[in-house]
Amino acid sequence: MDNDVVLWIVVATALAFDFTNGFHDTANAVATSISTRAMAPRVAVTLAAVLNFVGAFLSLEVAATIANGIVEAELVTPAIVFAGLIGAISWNLLTWYVGLPSSSSHALIGGVVGAAFAAEGADAVLGDGIVEKVAIPALMAPVLAFVVAGLGILLIYRIIGRLRPSTVSRSFRLGQIVTGSLFSLSHGTNDAQKTMGIMFLALVANGNLSSGDDIPVWVVVSAATAIALGTYVGGWRIIKTMGSRIIKMDPAQGFAAQGAGAAVILSASHAGFPLSTTHVISGAIMGAGAAKRVSAVRWGVAGNIVAAWVLTLPAAAAVGALTFGVVHVFGDGATGPVVVSAALLLALGAGMARRVGSGQTLTAEG
Amino acid sequence: MLAAVEAGVLLEVAWVSLVAGVAVTVLFSLVVLFSARSAEARRGGSASRAMAYAGLALLFVAAFGVVLGYGVNIMLSKG
Repeated sequence: MDNDVVLWIVVATALAFDFTNGFHDTANAVATSISTRAMAPRVAVTLAAVLNFVGAFLSLEVAATIANGIVEAELVTPAIVFAGLIGAISWNLLTWYVGLPSSSSHALIGGVVGAAFAAEGADAVLGDGIVEKVAIPALMAPVLAFVVAGLGILLIYRIIGRLRPSTVSRSFRLGQIVTGSLFSLSHGTNDAQKTMGIMFLALVANGNLSSGDDIPVWVVVSAATAIALGTYVGGWRIIKTMGSRIIKMDPAQGFAAQGAGAAVILSASHAGFPLSTTHVISGAIMGAGAAKRVSAVRWGVAGNIVAAWVLTLPAAAAVGALTFGVVHVFGDGATGPVVVSAALLLALGAGMARRVGSGQTLTAEG
Repeated sequence: MLAAVEAGVLLEVAWVSLVAGVAVTVLFSLVVLFSARSAEARRGGSASRAMAYAGLALLFVAAFGVVLGYGVNIMLSKG
């Protein structure tokens, strides 16, 4: 009975993480399209939500779970997964609140690493895995996207240089709809799988499934729905940062950033080296701005974004470790996760009540 | 050892990204260029030039579509 309660708490927490993953990463696909007026904001997030939902069904590579190769798999318990998810959700909510794009995957990895470290000590954490799956991609993604987008916008300006600005803007806005859609679809095929993998692992650990079973349809549908709903709600603070605070974009720059971003993401997927969509599109936006004029990039904002990337893993790890510590105080049963979940829900409820009290909306737009 | 294992993959990601990114932006820019030229020629009363430019625009639309289709195929083949 206790095990079932923990299982369903882990499943609900995984879906909550999936939701925050969706609204945190909406900006990756839609920020440039909204800022260049290629699409109306609500149309852009609706399209992104639908494509994320569809994308979640296109690839079911559950074996490649997020923590695989990063912590000792046989030491992972539902309590560690729960604590890791809380660490990732906390970091996603904090970075959304301050309007900074950061990688949800790295937050989840950080949360699980912190919880595993608190539970089993340093032996549970695989350093090589962190270098391979976090450090190298985090360095490579923005630099590569910066270079590709920079080169792309220089070529675009060279080719369309003498055309009428109104024709150019109209055409590249159309192009942005295509590249933005490709980005959303790619996001759905990557990020919803993380949640599916975690739910599947929890079901296997609880004895409801064996590791060779297919993923249950309800797992796929619920994960797809959670990420699509999160995307639809939209993390407007991050959209504002990416769409207009890093550079003031024209439609050609928006197209170059999205086209380069999609090319980098898909090339990396093709080579079996997945990169963070957040790091890629942020680097691409900076590249598209800097190639036109270095001073066009607000380097202070860019610096804050990079600082958030550096802090993602340790901060999520600290919350994951702390959460595991609190859960552990209550023993191995369901009491710990129930207490932590109740405390978090109360804190979120209090935050919402405060927003309502101060006349703000309850959507993520604030 | 890790660096040696990753170096080949990193290089592959770098050059494929560069080629794919340049292909996407150049192909679409050529679509924009030849569409605009076609419209200008039509307005200038030169039907044959307008047709030729429109043909080139269509050719690059098709090439752009092939690149996008390849991208979608990469996504689908992951699973």
